[in-house]
Amino acid sequence: MEAATAHSEHHHGPPAANVSSRVEAQFLGMLLFIISEVMLFGAFFTAYFFIRVVNGDQWFPVDGFELPKVIAGFNTAVLVSSSFTMHWALEGARNENRNALRVGLLTTFLLGLTFLTVQINEYVHLGFAPHDNAQATIFYGLTGLHGAHVFVGLTLLSFATIRAFRGHFTAKEHRGVEVPGIYWHFVDVMWIVVYSTVYLL
Amino acid sequence: MLNPLRSEQEAFRFLLYVAVVVGVLTAIVLLVRAIS
Repeated sequence: MEAATAHSEHHHGPPAANVSSRVEAQFLGMLLFIISEVMLFGAFFTAYFFIRVVNGDQWFPVDGFELPKVIAGFNTAVLVSSSFTMHWALEGARNENRNALRVGLLTTFLLGLTFLTVQINEYVHLGFAPHDNAQATIFYGLTGLHGAHVFVGLTLLSFATIRAFRGHFTAKEHRGVEVPGIYWHFVDVMWIVVYSTVYLL
Repeated sequence: MLNPLRSEQEAFRFLLYVAVVVGVLTAIVLLVRAIS
């Protein structure tokens, strides 16, 4: 990619033994990270499906406690919207539109923060704790794992937003937005699966 | 072939596909449950 191209401008012949000629290190790092994350979520979903399918246990409402589907649905809309603003920000970077880049990143960050705030508020008002039963453990485990990923995404987004306001990123060099963007969409994909399985089905 | 890890654009398209597919599947399951 870009690094490999830049590398070839200065150096002829094969790349160094520890450098890929096809994928730049930052991309490869995020790629391997996301693959490992899919496996991590897979472990939690295995526990979820074990309880519901193998054990055949009742899913929510459990012990009279219901999951707030409408509030979580609103939160889903917020998070999906943040992926659109993230995409808009990156299109801004690609087209040298600095305002779109800055506003897009800031809006994405604020929407992500809204999602996390609503989820914490949801936890406060749920009325059951993780140790109450297996269903509650899985619920808090899956949504909490996702929430932790949103927090990591917000950290990455804050770096990208600050850099954008400092004048970083161009149409050619915007890896610092692209890599958090891929991660953010991954977090969004995982939430769509979590919301539909845990809350709706 | 669509690879969501190759670029942000592909990741975004993948997200849209997932949203549509999961939405349709969820609607079908909820519909079948409501009927039966």
